[in-house]
Amino acid sequence: MSDATTLDPQAGAAVDAQPQDMTSSQTSVIDQRPTPEVHAQCARSPLAHLFTARDDGDAGIVLQEKAFLGHLTLRGDPAQPGFAEGVEAALGLALPLTPATLHQNEGGRSIQWLSPDEWLILVPGEEAFTVEKALHEALAGRYQVVNVSGGQTVISLSGDQARQVLMKSTPTDVHPRAFPVGRGVPAVFAKATLVLRRVSESEFELVVRRSFADYLGRWLLDASEEFGVCIKG
Amino acid sequence: MSQQDNQTAAAPRRLASGGRIDRATPLTFTFNGKRYQGLAGDTLASALMANGLDVLNASFKYARPRGLVAAGAEEPNAILQLGSTEAGQVPNVRATQQALYDGLEAHAVSGWVKAQKDLMSRFLPQVGKLGGKFMPPGFYYKTFMAPASLWMTYEKYIRKAAGLGRSPLEEDPDIYDHLHQHTDVLVIGSGPAGLMAALVAARSGARVILCDEQEELGGSLLSMSADCLDQTLDGQPAIEWRDAVLAELEACEDVQLLPRTTANGYHDHNFVTLHERRTEHQADLAPLNARGAQQARSRLHRVRAHRVIMATGAHERPLVYSHNDVPGNLLAGAVTTYLTRYGVAAGDKLVLSVNNDHAYRAALAWAAAGREVVAIADARPDPAGVMVEAARAAGIRIIAGAAVIEAKGERRVTGARIAAIDIDAFSVTGAVEELACDTIASSGGYSPVVHLAAHTGARPVWSDEIHGFLPALGAPMLKGFDACGAANGSFALEDVLVAAYASGVAAVEACEFETAQAEVPAVSELAETPMLPLYQVPHDKPTARAPKQFVDLQNDVTAAGIELATREGFESIEHVKRYTAMGFGTDQGKLGNINGMAVAARCLGQTIPDTGTTVFRPNYTPVTFGAIVGRHCGELFDPIRYTAMHEWHVAQGAKFEDVGQWKRPWYYPQGSEDMHAAVERECLAVREKVGVLDASTLGKIDITGRDAREFLNRIYTNAWAKLGVGKARYGLMCHDDGMVMDDGVTTCLAEDHFLMTTTTGGAASILEWLELWHQTEWPELDVQMTSVTDHWATLTVTGPEARALVGELTDIDLDRDSFKFMEVREGLIADIPGRIFRISFTGELSYELNVPANYGLHVWKRLFECGKKYGLTPYGTETMHVLRAEKGFIIVGQDTDGSITPEDLGMQWCVGYNKPYSWIGKRALSRPDTRRDDRKQMVGLIPTRKKAGDERIVLPEGSQIVFDPEHAIPMPMVGHVTSSYYSPTLGHGFALAVVKGGAKRIGETVFLPQADGTTLEAEITSPVFYDKKGERQHV
Repeated sequence: MSDATTLDPQAGAAVDAQPQDMTSSQTSVIDQRPTPEVHAQCARSPLAHLFTARDDGDAGIVLQEKAFLGHLTLRGDPAQPGFAEGVEAALGLALPLTPATLHQNEGGRSIQWLSPDEWLILVPGEEAFTVEKALHEALAGRYQVVNVSGGQTVISLSGDQARQVLMKSTPTDVHPRAFPVGRGVPAVFAKATLVLRRVSESEFELVVRRSFADYLGRWLLDASEEFGVCIKG
Repeated sequence: MSQQDNQTAAAPRRLASGGRIDRATPLTFTFNGKRYQGLAGDTLASALMANGLDVLNASFKYARPRGLVAAGAEEPNAILQLGSTEAGQVPNVRATQQALYDGLEAHAVSGWVKAQKDLMSRFLPQVGKLGGKFMPPGFYYKTFMAPASLWMTYEKYIRKAAGLGRSPLEEDPDIYDHLHQHTDVLVIGSGPAGLMAALVAARSGARVILCDEQEELGGSLLSMSADCLDQTLDGQPAIEWRDAVLAELEACEDVQLLPRTTANGYHDHNFVTLHERRTEHQADLAPLNARGAQQARSRLHRVRAHRVIMATGAHERPLVYSHNDVPGNLLAGAVTTYLTRYGVAAGDKLVLSVNNDHAYRAALAWAAAGREVVAIADARPDPAGVMVEAARAAGIRIIAGAAVIEAKGERRVTGARIAAIDIDAFSVTGAVEELACDTIASSGGYSPVVHLAAHTGARPVWSDEIHGFLPALGAPMLKGFDACGAANGSFALEDVLVAAYASGVAAVEACEFETAQAEVPAVSELAETPMLPLYQVPHDKPTARAPKQFVDLQNDVTAAGIELATREGFESIEHVKRYTAMGFGTDQGKLGNINGMAVAARCLGQTIPDTGTTVFRPNYTPVTFGAIVGRHCGELFDPIRYTAMHEWHVAQGAKFEDVGQWKRPWYYPQGSEDMHAAVERECLAVREKVGVLDASTLGKIDITGRDAREFLNRIYTNAWAKLGVGKARYGLMCHDDGMVMDDGVTTCLAEDHFLMTTTTGGAASILEWLELWHQTEWPELDVQMTSVTDHWATLTVTGPEARALVGELTDIDLDRDSFKFMEVREGLIADIPGRIFRISFTGELSYELNVPANYGLHVWKRLFECGKKYGLTPYGTETMHVLRAEKGFIIVGQDTDGSITPEDLGMQWCVGYNKPYSWIGKRALSRPDTRRDDRKQMVGLIPTRKKAGDERIVLPEGSQIVFDPEHAIPMPMVGHVTSSYYSPTLGHGFALAVVKGGAKRIGETVFLPQADGTTLEAEITSPVFYDKKGERQHV
C-alpha cells in the first residue's frame, strides 16, 4: 500500500532545477540526535516496554537492551583505493575484510562485515554524527553511509544458558568452536532475522530491527523462562 | 505380607526375579478404565503383559482381537490412546515405546470400528456385518467410486474410519520446542554398534550426538542374558561394557546423549530431525521444572551433522502363517526381551517357529524362567548351531524341516498346528500335528532398519546373503552417511563392533580429527549356523482358502489379499501396496513389507529383488504436531511488527489491521462507535479540520551515488532527470512484464541523494529488486541503497488546519509560497531533528513528518498536546483508504493485481516513453496486448440511487461487472470492483473498478450480479470523485 502519493499530473511534470556539477559527495547529512536534555526526556527505545528490570535469582539468562547506540550502515567497495584506509582513519578501527567478523575497541565502537560491500558500525549514540561526518570526509567515490540508529537496537544476551537459548532460536551454529569471540553474522532467528555477534567469551549481541524488537524480545523471554531470567534495566 | 508379594500376585505373568525393572517401585495405571500395577522400568506394554492382558485392540478392517507382537517401534497392534484429561489426550502411542508412570491412563483405540460400522450402515446397509468376504483388497476403491458426486459424503466417513486414535478436543496446555543442533558426528541408535562408533568419535574430540528411541541407551545389550547364551565383552556381561562406555561418553563436554529420542527423518545434506520425548515418561502433562517453570514436553532437534552413522539395528521378521494374528502370537525376540529386560513371560507354554539360530534365545530364556517349551519347529532340515544344541541339551523337542502352519484359538492362542514343509514347492509335506500351547513365537530372520537411509530417495538394495534390504551406502543421496551393525547387515556381535569401530574412525577422519585410541572389546565365541529363507509358510489348503495369513497386522493385509492383487494385474509392488494398503498407517510396513514382497514375488514367480524395492518416507514413527510447531504458536506464531507509536494507539483503544506482519491502527472508535461511524467521523475531521496517520510502515530506501538519478530513471516508468534538489515526485514501478508493481514518492535530498518510499508490503521486496538490477544488470552505475524503513517514524498531518498545527511544533517555514507542494525541508520538529515532506495521499493540505523513530512517540504526543484546538483527530488505515479513493489514488495490490499496466490506470502521464535509456517494463508495454483499447481500465462507479436510502449502497469489493444482466448464464464478465466505500464527504457510496474499455464508457450503466441473486446497478464515472482539480493540496 502506498500511503503518501499524489497522482497529480502537474507534479509529475515539474521541472525545477538543472543537474549540478558533482565533484564531491553532496549527500544530505543531518545531525539526527537532539540535545542531550531533549534526548533524555523524549527518547523511547524499542524494548523499553518489554525489558523492564527483573531478577529471578540464580538466573541462567541475562538480558539487557543496549539502547540508543549510533548505528551506521556503510556500503562500499573494499578494493577501491583509499576505502579501507579512510574507514580506519574515520573510525579508529580497521575495516574487517574476513567474512563474518567484527572489530571492536574499548571506546564502544565496532565495525562488522555484513556482506562483500556492507558493514555495520556501532558507536556510542552521541558519536553517531561525528563518525558519520568523519566517514564522509575520509571517503570518496562509490560508498554510502546511512544513519539507521532509530531503526535498530541491540540486545545483550549472556548467562550460563545463553547458548541453549540461541540454539532454540537460530539455525546458526553457536558452539564456541564455530562461533568464537569476534564472529558476527546475519542470522535467521525464530521467524525473523537479526545480526548475531559474539563480543566476549560470555556475551552475545543481537542487533534487531525496531519493528521486530517486540517479537524477538518476547521470543527470547519465552525461550529463557525455564532457565530463570535477569533483565538489567 | 509385603507390598512386593501383593504386586506379584496382581501381575500373574511377572517373573520373581530378573530384568531391569525395579520391583520396589510399583506404579498404578489404568487400561480401559480398570486399575493395574506395573513396576518402574516397565513399558506400558510390559506392564500390560505382566497383568495378563491379551487383547488390546480390535483390528483395522476385520475387527479381530489383537495383542502384543513386538517389544519396540515395530509393534503394529498395541496402538493406544493415552491421557487422563481431555486436554492431555495423545493418540496412537505404541505401548512398547511408552514408559510406565504412576497414574498413566490408556485406552484401546477402537474408535474406527464404530466409524466403519457407521459408514457401512449408512451407505451399504445390505452388507450388514463386517466380514472378510465383503472386504477384499480394493474394497474402498471399488465400492465408493460411484457415483462420483457422493465421494464428498463418503470421504468424511472413510477418513474417520481410517484413523486410529483421536485428537484432544481441548487446547494442549503443554509447550514444545525446537533445538537447532550442529555436530560432527550424529550416531543414531545406541546398541553395541552405536556405542562403539560414538566412543571412537568422542575420544577423538569430535562433537557427537548419540540418540536412541528407547528409554535407556544400550539397544540390544539391554536384553542380553546369560540365560540365552548371550556373549560377554572383555569377559564381562555385555551390560557392564555398556555402562562403562556410557559413563565415559557422559563425561565428554561435546557429547550429547539423547535417550527417548527418535531419529524420525533423514533429509538432504545430512539434516536429521530427532524427536525427543522429554517428559512423556513422567506424567500426562509436563511437570514444572526445578525452578517452577514450564518445560517442553517434546523437543524437535534439527540436527545438521557432518557425518551420520546409522546404527539402528534390525527388526525381526515374523513368519506368515494362518491365524498368526491371534493374541499370543509374538516375535521370538520380543518374547526374549520381555523375559530378560522386563521380567515378564508372555505365557506358560511356548511353541517356537524359526528359520535361524538366534531366535532360539527365546526358548532358552523361556525355559530358564521355568516355563514349558512345548516344541521348536525349525524350517531347516538339519539345525545344528550352538544354541540349537543347547536347546536339545535342555530337553526341548526340536521338529526339524517344519513350521507352525496355523495357530488355534480366538482371543488367545490355544494350540499350534505344525507340519513338515517344502519351501521350494510351497507345500505341506507331512502330517499335521497339533500341540496345545498359549504362545507361539516366530522368527523369519532379521530386516535391517534401513528406513532413514531411504528418506532422501536412495532405495535399499536386496542382499541374498542376509535375505533382507541393506542401505544403499555410497549412493549420491547418502553423502556423509554411513551405517554399521545390524542396520548394515552385520549380525554377529564381533562383526558389529569391528564395523562400528571402522565407521567411527571414518567419520572422525572425514571431520579432520585425529583418531584416538579405542579398543574393540573381546567378544566371547558363539557360532551361529546359516538361516533358511522363509516368509509365508505353506498351509495344507491353498492360500486363498487357508485361514487368514496376516502380512500387515495393522492394516489387516493378508497373503491371500496380496495374491488377489497380483491376479488382478497389480504387478508392481508399489501398486500392490496401494491396492491393499500394506505398509500404510502409523506402522509404515516395519513388520510386513518384506513378507508382503515375498508373497507377491512368489505369486508372480520371480525373486524379491525382481519384484522391486521398498522405499520409506519420513517420519519413521509418528510425531506429535506440538513438536513440529515448537514455540511458533499463539503469540509467537508469526512476527508482529509495531511502529514507535504503537503503545499510544493501544491506549486510545484503536482497532488494528494486519498489513503484512505490521499491526496498523485501523480506526479509533470513540464510545460505542462501530467502524462505519468511526470512519465517517475520521474522514470528516480530515476534510474539515486536521487528522494524523501513523504512516511509519511505509517502505523507505535511502539511495545515494552519482548515478542514483539515472538508476531511478531505469527503475521507474517516469522521468527523474530534472527533479530538483528539495523536490519530490510520485513514481510508478513496473515489473519487466509491464505490469504495475509498486508506487510511491521519491524525494531528491541532494544531487546524488534520494529518499524513495515504497508501499508497506513492498518494502523488502523492492529493495531486493533494486539490488538485483544493480548487481546483475547495471553494476557500472554508482548507486548504493539502504533500507531506512524502521529508522524514520512517519507522521502524516493532513487537513485544512495542518499548516497551523505543524507550525506550532517546528522551526521550518511552512509558508505556502516558500514551502510548496511536493517539496521537502529539514529542521526541528518538536525539538527533534527531522524532515517534513509536503506530499498528500488525501488530497488535503498535508505534511509528512519524518523523525528518528526513537523520538516518534514524543513528536506524536506533542502533536496532540497542540492539536486539541484544531480538532486533531487520529485516523487509521480504513479512513486513509476512503480518503485516497475519493481522490482516485490507487493502492497497488488492491486496485492492481499484477495484470494492470500504468495506462490501464489512466496514468499515461506517469510513463516516460522518451527517456533516453530504456526502463523496466518499457518493452512489454509496446506489445499489442498491452496496447489493446479493450483492456480492463480503471474507472469510478457510483451506485444507482432509485429511492431514499440508496445513497448508503456500497458495492461489495470483488463484485463482478456485466454489461447485460439479462444475458444467459454464463454472462460475460467485463470487470470487477477493486475498492468500495461509503463517503461521508460525498454523501453516498462510491467505488473504484476495472472495466473492459472503461475509459470510453464514462456515463454508461453497468450491473453487478450478487451471490444472493439480486443485481446491483452503477454508473461509470471518472475515478476522481472529490476536488477534481486538485486544488486543496496546494492551499
